Amino acid sequence: MAYSDKVVDHYNNPRNVGSMDKNDPHVGTGMVGAPECGDVMKLQIKVDPATGIIEDAKFKTFGCGSAIASSSLATEWLKGKTVDQAMEIKNTEIVNELALPPVKVHCSVLAEDAIKAAINDYKKKAVPAEVNA
Amino acid sequence: MDFYRVLGLGPKLQLNSVELQQLFYGRSRELHPDRFARAEPSVRAAALEESSLLNDAYRTLKDPVSRAEYFLKHRGFDIGEQGTKDVPPELLEEVFELNMALEELKSGDESARPQLATARDHFAALLAQSDDELTNLFAAHDASPAEAVLRQIRGVLNRRRYILNLLRDVNGYLSN
Ligand code: FES
Repeated sequence: MAYSDKVVDHYNNPRNVGSMDKNDPHVGTGMVGAPECGDVMKLQIKVDPATGIIEDAKFKTFGCGSAIASSSLATEWLKGKTVDQAMEIKNTEIVNELALPPVKVHCSVLAEDAIKAAINDYKKKAVPAEVNA
Repeated sequence: MDFYRVLGLGPKLQLNSVELQQLFYGRSRELHPDRFARAEPSVRAAALEESSLLNDAYRTLKDPVSRAEYFLKHRGFDIGEQGTKDVPPELLEEVFELNMALEELKSGDESARPQLATARDHFAALLAQSDDELTNLFAAHDASPAEAVLRQIRGVLNRRRYILNLLRDVNGYLSN
């Protein structure tokens, strides 16, 4: 299948590959998978607690080119956004930006799920213990 | 559920493979084209269609996994649906770690090999375990059909996919 230039670019030069300490209270980790293909994706954000702005994002994806490109693009978009803005990122925006064909839409859904999972993980950690009780 | 209907079966998840085969042979004989050689064209066409449905039905239902997928689909479940809800996070972690090890091996770091061999055994055991779980859940469903049981079955099916995928990759690397 022909990948778009943008997908190829992200695939060949993925941005922000790596990982952060998932025990860091300011780091949120999202680990998601797509059962239909067995692909897995880990996406992490590091949030500045004072401003609520995402200062760093990293990912590692074992999957198809579209999944790698989607998560690479996602980390680029995440940096500099507030957590709430990040929550608004839609897989359709990723589809448009990367010109993904219909059969590859689920790969972008995976990226959106990973963003949400990372944010939820961060929020869970950020909740003070008293409120939690 | 046409596949069940064409074989004259009730909506059960547990099927005996010998009985299933007998049903299939019996129905195949009934629908054999020779018996419709002199029939009206429309009747002949209908029999032909029924017989191709029968073949699909048998192929799908004789395998417990594809049978369960078919069953769940007709009960309104998506198989291989997005999200982690049905897959335990530990399994995803494990799959992820194993992929890391595979990548190291691909890049020529042979120290990952023993870890992979262990992992393969572990995942092969997980696969066998999920097959047992399916057998038990099939029985539970047939005894008293419940949405909750079907949901559990879907969970096992989803887990199975990750496991199979990984086993294939790991075996590929270990064998060369
Ligand atoms: S094919 Fe599975 S994530 Fe793209």
